Amino acid sequence: MSRNAQAVDRTLEALADPHRRRVVDLLSQRPRRAGELAEATGLGAPAMSRHLRALRQAGLVEESHPEFDARVRIYRLRPEPMAHLREWLERAERLWSEQLLAFKAHVENGARK
Amino acid sequence: MSSRVLVSVRVKADPVRAFDAFTQEIGEWWRPNLMFRFTPRSPGVVSFVQGDDGAWEGGRFIETLPGGKVFEVGTIRVWKPGDQLVFGWRCAWFEPGMDTEVQVRFEPVGDETRVTVEHGGWDTVPVENAARHNFPNVFFLKHEAEWWTSMLASLKGRAL
Repeated sequence: MSRNAQAVDRTLEALADPHRRRVVDLLSQRPRRAGELAEATGLGAPAMSRHLRALRQAGLVEESHPEFDARVRIYRLRPEPMAHLREWLERAERLWSEQLLAFKAHVENGARK
Repeated sequence: MSSRVLVSVRVKADPVRAFDAFTQEIGEWWRPNLMFRFTPRSPGVVSFVQGDDGAWEGGRFIETLPGGKVFEVGTIRVWKPGDQLVFGWRCAWFEPGMDTEVQVRFEPVGDETRVTVEHGGWDTVPVENAARHNFPNVFFLKHEAEWWTSMLASLKGRAL
């Protein structure tokens, strides 16, 4: 399997957990602190930090510190893992939709047979 | 989220005729696509050709460029007239290791045929490692948020 295929697998695996999907959902609105995420999902801080670690290792989220306080961790989504893949899929889908319509027109209106 | 696309169409023809039209007359109905030019010199004329031994399986899907040069898009992996066609798909600019595959199925539906194209392997296309996330780009971020929202919606209820 290619490195990229593995990356996609890792992404899907990380998203298999409903709590982690909820975290991604929350982060898609805006970056948030870990405490905020724990509160919103009703999870304890240790459980939340385990989920955040899994998401970070899968390359889905990244953490940073605000300038005023190095102890506070802010999480945000990293878009790269699948953005590129989706773009390809969209292009390929558009391509085949066009081609199959042209194919249909050819079969049904073509002069042959 | 899977790395393949699935597109289908129903045509007024039986599966054998649909298969023949798809393979033998592709040069007549294929529309050159700017986004998916196989080579910088495209478009040319696409066709399926038999292998050296005369067999279709092991043959090639090619584009004959305006200058007469032939570009091989991929080899024919499955050739079952009236039923199924599978071939490789590479553009000239694909990097080594990138390989996608097109599977075309022909299924009878009454006296018509459902033609389904499944184009997979897009996860072999490089994942851009741009330092883009270091450059806040409002449009891009908004786009991403929409993407994640829709992806989560599609993941809901999916058995992973």
